[in-house]
Amino acid sequence: MPVPASPSQHPPAGAPRTSFAARAAVLVVTAAAGGAALALAPSGATPWTLAVVLAGWACVAVTVLVDHRLVRKARATAVERESEVGRLRAEAARRSAEISHLAGATLPAVAERLREGTSAADVLSAVPPPSDPQLSRITHTFAATVEEDVRRVMTIEDEYRAIREELDEAATEHDRFVRETMPAAIGRLREGRSADTVLAETDLPHHPALRVPAESFIRELALSERRAAAAQAASAKALSRVQAKAVQMLADLRDMQERHGEEVFGDLLKLDHSTSQLGLMTDRLALLMGGRSSRAWNKPIKMESILRGAAGRIAAYQRVRLHCSTRTAVAGFAAEGVMHLLAELMDNAANFSPPIDEVHVYVEDRSAGIVVTIEDSGLKMADAAMRRAEEAVTGRVTDLASLQGTRLGLAVVGRLASKYGVSVNYRPSSRGGTGVVVLLPLHLLAQHREPAPHETAGRGESLAGRGGAARGVPVQSPSASRTSSLPARDADALPSAGSAVGSRGDVDALPVRGARDAGALPVRGSNGSGGDRDNAAEARPAAAHLPATPESPAPRTERQAAITERLAELPTVPGQGRHRQPDSTTPNGLPVRAPGRTMAEAEREREQRQSAAARSGDTSGRRGARDAGSRFGAFHRGARQSGNGGTGASGIGASGIGAPGNGAPGDGTPGADSLPPAAP
Amino acid sequence: MTPRKPVDTGDPDRLYTVTGGRSRADESFDLVTLIVSESAPTPGMQSEHARILELCEHPVALVEIAAELGLPVTVVRILLGDLLDTGHITARHPRAAASVASLPDSALLQEVLHGLRNL
Repeated sequence: MPVPASPSQHPPAGAPRTSFAARAAVLVVTAAAGGAALALAPSGATPWTLAVVLAGWACVAVTVLVDHRLVRKARATAVERESEVGRLRAEAARRSAEISHLAGATLPAVAERLREGTSAADVLSAVPPPSDPQLSRITHTFAATVEEDVRRVMTIEDEYRAIREELDEAATEHDRFVRETMPAAIGRLREGRSADTVLAETDLPHHPALRVPAESFIRELALSERRAAAAQAASAKALSRVQAKAVQMLADLRDMQERHGEEVFGDLLKLDHSTSQLGLMTDRLALLMGGRSSRAWNKPIKMESILRGAAGRIAAYQRVRLHCSTRTAVAGFAAEGVMHLLAELMDNAANFSPPIDEVHVYVEDRSAGIVVTIEDSGLKMADAAMRRAEEAVTGRVTDLASLQGTRLGLAVVGRLASKYGVSVNYRPSSRGGTGVVVLLPLHLLAQHREPAPHETAGRGESLAGRGGAARGVPVQSPSASRTSSLPARDADALPSAGSAVGSRGDVDALPVRGARDAGALPVRGSNGSGGDRDNAAEARPAAAHLPATPESPAPRTERQAAITERLAELPTVPGQGRHRQPDSTTPNGLPVRAPGRTMAEAEREREQRQSAAARSGDTSGRRGARDAGSRFGAFHRGARQSGNGGTGASGIGASGIGAPGNGAPGDGTPGADSLPPAAP
Repeated sequence: MTPRKPVDTGDPDRLYTVTGGRSRADESFDLVTLIVSESAPTPGMQSEHARILELCEHPVALVEIAAELGLPVTVVRILLGDLLDTGHITARHPRAAASVASLPDSALLQEVLHGLRNL
């Protein structure tokens, strides 16, 4: 730094001059003082004085001169020192600048370049090396250290990244395992596949920490699934035997009830009731175990029979009051399920109401189907309990794990409801207890509304349509009315299977009464459209007060024909045919359509019969008079039945269904006052 | 073990549900008691009752009713007891009711018998 050095150079330049002048003045003054002293000195002492003065002056002069030289020497030294100091300062400044440059620019730049991945040698060659070797060493050391650090950091980062990737992968795999693999594997296990199959099909995670527990889990689950399935299958199998026994016992009991007299009748009824309850219990378990119901019906079952069949299976059947006036029947395939469902609900209602209160069952015919309401007057269900019951009867949860103790009834109801599409709803009852509303949708109802089976219906009807006459309304299906193209008398004589074959255009030829009946109460015919149903609903009130008119042959004829037709349309079931008569005619000459015989053949035969009947003359005279022969025949039949027991009754029913041509009453037909005698 | 029938051809009604649990019949009926209905069936009536009323528009013997309904005689007697109690039917002894039932009289039967023997 030259600036502070410059002012310090002037004073030494002026000082020697002043000091030299002062020294000259001193010499002069001392010379003058010596001269004065010489002049003033006594003459005797002049030489001596002179000598002293000279000597003194000479000393002073020497001293001054020496001093002067010393001063000059000192000044020169000072100047030299001064310049040395300046040089050193400049040097220090330069070095300081260099250091600050190094610290401020070079080292950061070096660090930067090193971080970018350049090697230390390259970086050092690129930056200007500091002049100072110490600094240069520092730079080198710094560069080496930084390079080392950078390398280490990069290694660590690589490791970190690798670990991170591994972790991500593991997380993804775990996620997939949890979300996809395991549910799929569990689903397959539930479908019943073996553990090995599932393990082979499943893409298990590779990580042993997941793979090992997953494998053992799948094996364990497969084992428990298999155990559950085996237990279920074994139960269902065992229960099916119990069911078969129970059904057999019921049949035997019915047989005994027919055969034995009044003295044991009550006991037999008791046994019958117990066996029916047993049947309900085994059916309940069987359904829960994935088995089947113990019974299956091959024909539509009237609502009244459904309700009675349901009520008869519960312990407190005498407390159940049935209010049923509908003639609708439940299709055979659903009859058992509906019966069981209603039995469970009635059982519940009876169990959860005071033992003296009655359970009321109402049946209503609605356009959406049949509504059965079961009302008890017990305690109101708590909201939570009602919700649980609602949940149970929806059938959404079919897992056995959801069963609670011995309360299986509602679970069975749920299964049956979801199987047949029945809706079951709980609501508080107006009677104070709980009400259950069951809606049987249209597809569960018989396609044909039950034709009112009057006394003429004979044997076939005795099974299928007993309650149909409850209203006393003559009913016929529209298709049956077509057969009325035949003269009434002839049709009366021969209500054979072929009678349903008439063409639709024949409706015009209906006898007056037949037409009226058909119009008064159209029943849901073979086309079974909703429109027909509605018509029926409208027409029923009007028709309800129509008196039963059995004294006229025409409606009876048509009813017979309708029944015959219905019977003809029923599916022929193997096993029913055992009661069928092999002949083409009954003992009384009525035609029987043998299994496998075509409709055309039956029709031909019918034509023959028809002409034969026409030849036999007018039969109208027979109407009023009771035919003694037919009466005796009926008597014999009745006596035989009461003697033979239930097999006779069921046999008659079966033959009535199985042999379509046998729709007309057989021997004698008691009560069928207008029936003509059998064709020869 | 009896093989299970594929379908049931019987009836889901058990007899105790038909009789409402009763097993003792009215003693006033025997097998040949003639029954005549006094009124038409009313809606909501038990179907067996309705059918009996329809059957019995003309006098019918109890045993015939039993045959028609396919029910044991005891059950029919219980059902008839109900109807008798409510006044829906009347019961008569067959002999007393012979003329009402317009049966052929014994002379005619005798004649027929003779004719048959003479064949």
